[in-house]
Amino acid sequence: MVLKLYGSPFSTCSKRVATVLHEKQVPFELIVIDLAKHEQKSAAFREKQPFGQIPYLDDDGFIVYESRAICRYIAMKYADQGTKLIPTDLKGLAIFEQALSVEQAHFNPSAEGAISENIYKPFFGKAPDPTVFEAHLKKLDEKLDIYELILSKQKYLAGDELTLVDLFHIPFGYSLPTAGSDIMNSKPHVAAWFKALVDRPSWQAIKDNIHSTA
Amino acid sequence: MVLKLYGSGNSTCTRRVGAFLREKKIPFELVEVNLAQGEHKSPAYLEKQPFGQIPYIDDDGYILYESRAICRYLEEKFPNQGPKLIPTELKAKGLFEQAASVELNNFDPYANKAVFEKVFKPYLGLTPDQATFDKHIADLGARLDAYEVILSKQKYVAGNEYTLADLFHLPYGWLLAAGGSNILSDESRPNVVRWWKDITSRDAWVAVKDGVVKSNA
Repeated sequence: MVLKLYGSPFSTCSKRVATVLHEKQVPFELIVIDLAKHEQKSAAFREKQPFGQIPYLDDDGFIVYESRAICRYIAMKYADQGTKLIPTDLKGLAIFEQALSVEQAHFNPSAEGAISENIYKPFFGKAPDPTVFEAHLKKLDEKLDIYELILSKQKYLAGDELTLVDLFHIPFGYSLPTAGSDIMNSKPHVAAWFKALVDRPSWQAIKDNIHSTA
Repeated sequence: MVLKLYGSGNSTCTRRVGAFLREKKIPFELVEVNLAQGEHKSPAYLEKQPFGQIPYIDDDGYILYESRAICRYLEEKFPNQGPKLIPTELKAKGLFEQAASVELNNFDPYANKAVFEKVFKPYLGLTPDQATFDKHIADLGARLDAYEVILSKQKYVAGNEYTLADLFHLPYGWLLAAGGSNILSDESRPNVVRWWKDITSRDAWVAVKDGVVKSNA
């Protein structure tokens, strides 16, 4: 049975998974959840995803949620096809885990916070607060200074090969200009790294809209 | 060379690694980093940990930071020592990753900030705000409702075996009570209470809950 991704064609976390599905050349069907009708908060949806969030994956009856966990599962299951996205040697794997932890602890809160303030809030009819937005960007800037240091010594965040952790940054990083910040372009090594990620066919295929490929 | 854990015996993230080292009976030396004197922000320290945070490990010259990554690395390195804390079978591993991601997205943001507000701020000479703390606890409560459903069907967060995903919750979960919240003992969520009692009674957590000291394992 073809993989089913339950999510939204425009959602950041659904796109995180879709990029990886493309990198691994795994066909999938996108089942669109009606966010406007709060379908993700329905009892039926919560049977599958108890936190009432998108996306989740249905692999022939096996359900996985949390976009990064779904990506890891796909990368493990289809290790032998498409781009290699998880290192296999012990130390390479450890640096990969370190970089993954950095993405979630240092990059995501400020990037997602900034986007939430300037893009999601207006979408729901609330007024964004410029002070809050600026505070997120200030923090993100400090973290990206460290990314600049790391990326001046190696091509990608976990070493010289692309891994899942680089791809995880794309959805929120890509939306920052729309939110009003050119921060991803502000430091030379970070800018080069991010541009290379965004130029990949896997992101280009889904950046505006995710389509089923099966 | 014995593993060196650079951190502070009383810090949450150092305790996360300390609990893991105790579970796996891995000998280690705790090297105390002087936070009061800002040692973790010194150029020498930033060479090892560029984010200026504790802990990091030195495994015979090999440096790794981020407490959860440290635990994962050591689990890979010592798969046959002590309990197995990350499953190897594909689907079980998928569910483990799901639970580990839930901890980071649905537990830590609220528990971490609540603990910072009431427990760390006074320590830093700042004034805690009760309303902020209460909001973080309320937000955490909404997530614990989903935990209650999950834990009504299985013993631990990733399935019926204890894994790293459960362990990761310990340090901040433990300090919620110090901040004034008994949310993890709230009997309106009996399965959460059952799970929390179980994981906090493990010898490895009991050994480090009040502070990490070196261990010859």
